[in-house]
Amino acid sequence: MQLKRRNAALREIGTPLAAATCALLGQSAPGVVEAQELKPWDIDSSMLIYSESDGRVQDLSLNVWGRKELLEDKFLGLTLGVDSLTGASPSGATPANVVQTFTSPSGNSQYAVAPGAPALDTSFHDTRVDVSASWEMPVARLGLLSVGANLSDEFDYTSAGVNARYARDFNNRNTTLSFGLALANDTVSPVGGSPIPFAPMLGVGDARNKDGDQSKNVTDLLIGLSQVLNRHTIFQINYSLSQADGYLTDPYKFLSVVDPVTGNPAAGPPGSGRYAYLFEKRPDTRDKQSIYALLKRDFDGDVLELSYRYMTDDWNIDSQTIEARYRFNFGANRYLQPHVRFYQQTAASFYNTVLFAGAPLPTYATADQRLGEFDGITLGLKYGQETASGNEWSARIEYYTQSGNASPGSAVGALANLDLYPDLNALIAQFSYKFGRR
Amino acid sequence: MASPCEVHVGDADRTTAERAFAVAAAEARRIEAKFSRYSSGNIIHAINTAEGRPVVVDAETARLLDYAAQLYELSDGKFDVTSGVLRRAWRFDGSDRVPSPEAVAALLPIVGWDKVRWRAPELALPRGMEIDLGGIGKEYAVDSAAGLVRAVSSRCLLNFGGDLLALGPQQDGTPWRVGVESVSDAGAVARHIDLTIGALATSGDSRRYLLKDGTRYGHVLDPRTGWPVVGAPRSVTVAAATCTAAGMLATLALLQGAGAEAFLEAQGVQFWALR
Repeated sequence: MQLKRRNAALREIGTPLAAATCALLGQSAPGVVEAQELKPWDIDSSMLIYSESDGRVQDLSLNVWGRKELLEDKFLGLTLGVDSLTGASPSGATPANVVQTFTSPSGNSQYAVAPGAPALDTSFHDTRVDVSASWEMPVARLGLLSVGANLSDEFDYTSAGVNARYARDFNNRNTTLSFGLALANDTVSPVGGSPIPFAPMLGVGDARNKDGDQSKNVTDLLIGLSQVLNRHTIFQINYSLSQADGYLTDPYKFLSVVDPVTGNPAAGPPGSGRYAYLFEKRPDTRDKQSIYALLKRDFDGDVLELSYRYMTDDWNIDSQTIEARYRFNFGANRYLQPHVRFYQQTAASFYNTVLFAGAPLPTYATADQRLGEFDGITLGLKYGQETASGNEWSARIEYYTQSGNASPGSAVGALANLDLYPDLNALIAQFSYKFGRR
Repeated sequence: MASPCEVHVGDADRTTAERAFAVAAAEARRIEAKFSRYSSGNIIHAINTAEGRPVVVDAETARLLDYAAQLYELSDGKFDVTSGVLRRAWRFDGSDRVPSPEAVAALLPIVGWDKVRWRAPELALPRGMEIDLGGIGKEYAVDSAAGLVRAVSSRCLLNFGGDLLALGPQQDGTPWRVGVESVSDAGAVARHIDLTIGALATSGDSRRYLLKDGTRYGHVLDPRTGWPVVGAPRSVTVAAATCTAAGMLATLALLQGAGAEAFLEAQGVQFWALR
């Protein structure tokens, strides 16, 4: 009796229970059961169009994510993405009151920019393919480990990475602590070779300013905490550290060298037929830290998401992002979600709109506007609907506008009347479809 | 039955489908009217208001009471149809209103099948005690309705609020696809089960619980202590030949608390637990 009590939890009751159930239901013998868990692929797919105004960057991006439970509680994830980029991108040169002629990155052709017009490199086009795989499995009862690898390839850039993430629940699953680590190794093979930093732009066919392939390594670390505050509210905070070393320069960006008084382009190397443009040079390490906080709250089925991110790096760029989304649910299967995002960043310490002729060269310099000071605002709206078969589609449209300092202190002479940081406006449209659940 | 009841009919013709539905609905209503503790004038009401006097019950009620007695024995007292009065202290409304130990202890003298005198066809409850067959009723209704629907069509799936039984596959031989709801994300499907024949029953507390000082009190109460079972999965789905057997195994598993999965493994049944 003592033994039976102790093993009560594992007592075999199936047979007497089946007999009792037969007696209850007036059946002579138990029937049969044939059930099998179905483990379909969950598929998310999306098509995104990103279109900058004035013929600048256009991106068409197609993505597919798949996830399937291959073994009990163990999931395989696969992703495939294809991007096609075209359009014109700012080269870093300033506009001028004269016609400027530039050698294309390939070194095989040249293009001219009209007086007063922004210096855009129209030869910008690329196709990127990226694939990734991940494996997710429980560790003990409250832990979850996922490991993954990814590879992306484009004409002039290859990136390979591995990552791991471990999350563990505490406190009746109201608290989740997570740790992530990602390592990536990238190879840069610029069209026409990688420019020697601060080398001048030369004429068509002259490759003395170019070098071979370059590489960089990036390590990302993440520590995250997510906490259920009450039945309606979740709070999440992440700290991340990113360290990059190697070739961090953009091989397609250069700086104009101008006369310190008139602001007009200085003369380039004799015989090159170019004004003076020097390829940019960035430090070969970059350490970034960021803090991200998210508050998610349910209001009778509608959901508010508020987030804030602060990023700081040793290039002296500080950025802040404030973002809000509100999901209005209409019935059980339709929703509308407005989105607003404010972004602000300070310039890198070595950001210069131009270099001055005759002045000593700084250690590092870039005129890449993405490293300058600017503000960005995004306004968007998303609509989603579940279909009768349990699949879900959504459509999102967003407008992005970015503005920087069009007339910085360095805008001497002729530059004072030119727009040194043209506003950027972009439209983003996305269509997504989730299926496979049924 | 306080939950949606569906009958899916795999036969193409409308008449068969309507007849199958009519038979199932009539049986569900009959069982609900007869055994609901919320109705007055039925056998449960007569038993619960007998003030200690014996009540003579009909054959069907006697079979259910025999079954309840066997479950009490098989579960070492964890499954007890007299435990419903504990709901006077416990209201699982998602709030933090956990009752005082005194309030719970005060109810224990009127809980316990061992205090009941049951000699078919006569049942006598001590004064103040009540029985509630709700823990068996819905699954029993599925099986009972299925037995009647079988005469109309065998290509049927009955779903009474998430407790289901398939009499056979759909007309083209494909199984019925059943979604088990996620415990964390209301409305989302956590698992898909293809059911060809037999029953699936799910027990869980994903909606009905109390949360106080970080402790979650699920709605499954141990009638021996009057307190919620600790450490049980949020949801347990069991496959068995009958809905009643599947439902009882799922309920008994939750009553094991942290040992729910080990208990079901020992029974050799197919099950899916969500934590």
